[in-house]
Order: sequence, then structure tokens, then C-alpha cells
Amino acid sequence: MKLRNVFFASSAIAALATGASATDLEFYFPVAVGGAAADTIQALTEEYMANNADVKIDAIYTGSYADTTTKAITAVRGGNAPQLIISLSTDMFTFIDEDMIVAWDDFVTEEEQTDWIGGFYPAFMANSQTEGKTWGIPFQRSTPVLYWNKEAFKAAGLNPEEGPKNWAEMVEMGKALTVKDDAGNVTQWGVHIPSSGFPSWLWTGIVAGNGGKLADDTGTQVTFNSDAAVGALEALVALSATDEVMAPGILDWGGTPKAFFDGQAAMIWTTTGNLTNVRTNAPFDFGVGFLPGLQQNGAPTGGGNFYLLKGSSDEELQGAADFVKWVTAPEQAAKWTIATGYVAPRPDVWDTETMKAYTADFPQALVARDQLEYAVPELSTFEGPKVTQLLNSALESAITGQTEPKAALDGAQAAAEAILKPYY
Amino acid sequence: MIQDTPLDRFLIRSAGTLLGLLWVVPLGYAVWAAIHPPAFEARFDLTAPLTLANFISAWDQAPFARYFLNTILLVGVILSAQLILCTLAAFAFARLEFPGKSILFTLILMQLLVMPDILLIENYRTMRNLGLVDTILAIGLPYFASGFAIFLLRQTFMTIPKELDEAALIEGCSLLGLLWRVYVPLGKPAMLAFGLVSVSHHWNNFLWPLIITNSVETRPLTVGLSIFATTDSGTSWAVINAATLMTSAPLLLGFFLFQRQFVQSFMRAGIK
Repeated sequence: MKLRNVFFASSAIAALATGASATDLEFYFPVAVGGAAADTIQALTEEYMANNADVKIDAIYTGSYADTTTKAITAVRGGNAPQLIISLSTDMFTFIDEDMIVAWDDFVTEEEQTDWIGGFYPAFMANSQTEGKTWGIPFQRSTPVLYWNKEAFKAAGLNPEEGPKNWAEMVEMGKALTVKDDAGNVTQWGVHIPSSGFPSWLWTGIVAGNGGKLADDTGTQVTFNSDAAVGALEALVALSATDEVMAPGILDWGGTPKAFFDGQAAMIWTTTGNLTNVRTNAPFDFGVGFLPGLQQNGAPTGGGNFYLLKGSSDEELQGAADFVKWVTAPEQAAKWTIATGYVAPRPDVWDTETMKAYTADFPQALVARDQLEYAVPELSTFEGPKVTQLLNSALESAITGQTEPKAALDGAQAAAEAILKPYY
Repeated sequence: MIQDTPLDRFLIRSAGTLLGLLWVVPLGYAVWAAIHPPAFEARFDLTAPLTLANFISAWDQAPFARYFLNTILLVGVILSAQLILCTLAAFAFARLEFPGKSILFTLILMQLLVMPDILLIENYRTMRNLGLVDTILAIGLPYFASGFAIFLLRQTFMTIPKELDEAALIEGCSLLGLLWRVYVPLGKPAMLAFGLVSVSHHWNNFLWPLIITNSVETRPLTVGLSIFATTDSGTSWAVINAATLMTSAPLLLGFFLFQRQFVQSFMRAGIK
């Protein structure tokens, strides 16, 4: 009994202590592009604290997105929520469902509603707003693009300055780029579209390029087996099965840049989060282009948003919101984009002198921005992890040839509908 | 006793070799990737140049010295707390009579059936109420009263002949003296075996330390290591493997050095 009293007393003291210094903030952030990017966030946080002496922000690097989400959910349930986290934009419905985030709308003035929240690219806000409220602020956002090896293009007799404009061109170029040795083993594949872990992300782009959409903006309806979706999956499967321009089976995400650098694949699909990495490590000239679409341009967005977590006083949350306003402002966002390759989430960032100098030297960085016009949100629904997992399993079984594309997607659709039923 | 035929011996040895090979292949790959430049990650060329650059690069990318210190402190604190608490508890359950003994022992055994992961949130809440979030003590505290250790030591203590108790008591030994002079020395193999299990488990534990720690000053090696696996920028297997080898080296070395003692104590403690 006595011990319990000690518990309560110490928790009361802890509560008082946090109440006394209202601007002691905690901020969890993951980085999916390597440890160096974490230093950039630390540096930005310190710069903010140097300019705002009354605010103390403890920026806590929490590894991968999955680790960050686990930590955040435990901390919220344990009554010790950080004020601010960066997590996947697709976590929005899950977080609303768990009742662990607050909307940004209460912490911005009417002016900021239009100038600040209204200033982000609509493609990024699609996964950040629902029910007329803003739940996420885009920060480390990405979109996949196609990278091609100019030297391999030259060797295959193709114009090294022009990547494929549509799917048919990609297949055709891929055939020219697929190189076999005398024994008939492929030494260089034409295309490499990674499919391990989360094939649904890139596939969302193929579906968008085929004029389809996987989910609506309420997070309760999915259309996995539309004609556009089935066509997109058939085209993806055909790359290995009949076109023979891509290695068969599940292709690893982490190994994709490596396969590109080593010349095992002449064209790769991967995130712009890799741009700085490819720029530093590719031993040859490379081009960057839109994802080639079956009928039109199309690509998903991805990456992380800022979320405000429940469980702190309004003053603390306001402090956190003010920090986010500063860190997404053009100069700071430009630093972040240059350090990582993530897409700057606001048009005004691209107008800064810093960004202009950067893109003049490295025009490939502009491709992702220009592709945003055709971007669709990444698949995001209630019960998000379960629904996405269903789709991923269906895609994997089609890619490995165990199930016909149509049958796999029909199965995923039926299972997803059953999961989402309580949310209609 | 039935004699082994040569065929039996052949089968047993080849199965053992196969299992051993299966176990050593990933380790062998880790060594290969760690001591060659990244270009040879997936190319096995015996003439590939050797390098230590991956180790240097891994060491520079994270404060590993601090992580090592944290992990060593962590396993040290946990093991000493476990040995003291669980020896006392096991002695009480093995030799003393008190009301509620069997209910209490059943409760402790139930701990073996509950996955620690289910208790994450409750443990987190307790640590927060104690004001211990982000401390090394908080990583270890939930594991101090180990049901497994209590059970194992109790079973060992039960096998010690009561005559020794009586002899010691006649000689004027106190209860604690009896525990210290008779039970602890005879229970050493079991303690050593448990110690190995405990140290390797906590050296490798990830989820709870990840959740309860926030800073470099408290994070153990496993959590520090996780920053290398970043999918978006491509995985550098060479550096990851170098870092993994560094972090597991002390355990591997310790095991190779004391292999004989470990195996013997496992045999004696009945965990085979």
C-alpha cells in the first residue's frame, strides 16, 4: 500500500514539474534515409532553441518509422506522450482511430490557415486532411521516380538524355537494355521495380498511371480490383513473365540503389529520398524522370508528416506547432531537402535562393516537384496496417506467380471490405 | 546401455555438422561482408581486397563506445539483481514453510507463461510513475524478479540433501549462513547457466529498451544498431555487418573462451 502512495506522489510531482515549465517539449522523429539526416534535424532544432530561449525541445531520434510509431503509441497509452512526432502520412486514420492526435486547426490563426497550411502542395495535403480538418503537416515527403543509367543507355544504342515516357517505351528500352552473357545468364536487367515488404506503394503509381484509384479520402472505401488496378498488376507481372526485362520474383528495396550502382539494372524505380545517395554514389551519369505510366502520368506520394499528440497542455502544443511553422518555412525546408533529397513540400521553398542554386547545379531534383501535379495519395485507410498488408500479400502472390492478378486482387478486396465494414 | 553402432554415430555426427553449418553460414557471411569493400557484398572472390574501413565507418556513425558501456551496465545490473533476489526467493520456496507458499509459487510460475511484450504499456506507465523513463534502471527493473531463475534455482536447491542443512545448523550456522555456505556453492552450476541465458537475452533485447529509452546516454547496443538499417537510402550491408559483429563480439568471444564451463554447467543444471 505504501509503495502505491509513493507512485502517486511521484507522479503528482512529475505532473507539477511539467506544468511549471510549459515549453519543455519532446519530439520523436524517424529518418528513413540514414543517420546523417538525423544530424540535420538536430541542428535545426538547436538553431530554433538558440533563437527562442524560452523553448526547450528534446528532439529524439527514434530509428525507423515502425519503431517510432511503436514508441509513440506506448508513450501515449503510458500517459507520457511527446508533443510532436513525425510519422508516416498514411498513419493518419490509425492515429485518429486510436484517438491519439489533435488537429492543427486549433493552433493556427485564420491567416496561417490560408498562408501556411494552404501553402503546401495539394498532393501532399491529400494524406494529411480529412473531415475538414488538418491532422498532418508534410515534412519528409517523397515520391518515387525513375532513375536511368546514361552509360548503359549509350551502350545499348539509346539516347542517353531521354528516359522512357510511358510504359510501352520502358518495356521497349528495357528489352534493348537487358544484356545476357554467352551462357544466356542475364548480367544487366532493363528495369528494377522493388517489391519486397511494401509493393503496394509503387504499384499505387502504376494504378494511377492506368487511370485508377485505390481508396477514397474518407479512409473507408477501397477499390483494389477495378479494371485499372487489375491491368496495372498484369502489366507489372508481365515485366518478368513475358517481356523478360525484369528479374523474376520479389526484388529487394534496400538493395535497389546497389543494383543500380553495380550495373545489374539499367533503370530503377525508387524514392526521391534516394536522390542524394544516388548522386553521391553512382559511378556514372544518371537521368531522373517521371514514372512511366500505362496511359498517363501518375505516382504516389509517401513519407512522413508532423503530428501533434494528445496528452499535453494547449500551451505546450502551441509551442510545438510554432516550432513546426518555423521548420517548414522556406529557408529551413530548403536545408532539409538539400541534405536528404526529400521533396520540398511547398512551392515557396523552391523560390528561395538556396534552392535555386541547388537545382541549377542539379536539375534532377526538379523532376519530383514537377511530378507532384500527377501525384495521388499513398494508400491510407482505417485499420491501415491490416488493409495495406492484405494488399501487399496479394501483390506478392501475383508477382511470384502463385495467383492470377485478378483473383489475388478480388481476394484482397473482399477481405479489406470485411475489415472496413464497421467504419462506413 | 545400448551401444552406438557406427551408423548411429555417423548419423549423429553428420546431423550435428549440418546444424553447425547452418548456424555458421550467416555468421560467415557477416564476417565476409564486414572485412571487404562494399563492392564485394554479393561477389565472393577470394582475391578481394581486405579492409577495416567498414568497422571504422560504423564506429564513426554512432557512439558505440557509449552503447557498449550502457549495455554492459545493463546486463550487469540485471544479472546481479536477479541472482540476489532469485537466490533468496528460491531458497525460501525450497526450504522454508510459510502461509500462501504454494499460491505464491504458482503466481511466479505464471510469469513464465506471460509474454513480456503484452506488459509493455503497463510497465511503461509504472516506470513513468516512478520517474524512471529514459534510465538504464528502467530497462532492467521489469526483469529483476525472474520467474525462470526462481524456478530453476528452487529445483536445484530441492535436490540438495537435507542432511547438509542439519549438519550446518548443528554447527551453529544461521539461516543466511546456511544459504551462503551450503546452497550457493552447490547451486553455482545452475546460476552460471542462468547467467548465460540472462546475459545473452538482455544483450540482444530490443523492443523494451527501444520504448523506454530516449537518449544516447541510456540506449543499449541493439537500439543504437537499428539506426543503420535505413531502407530509403539503400542498405549498406558491409557497414551493418561490421557494426553487428562489433556488437556481438564480446558475447561470442566470451562464449568461445568459457565454452567448456558453459556446456558443463548446462549439463549439471539440467538445461540441455
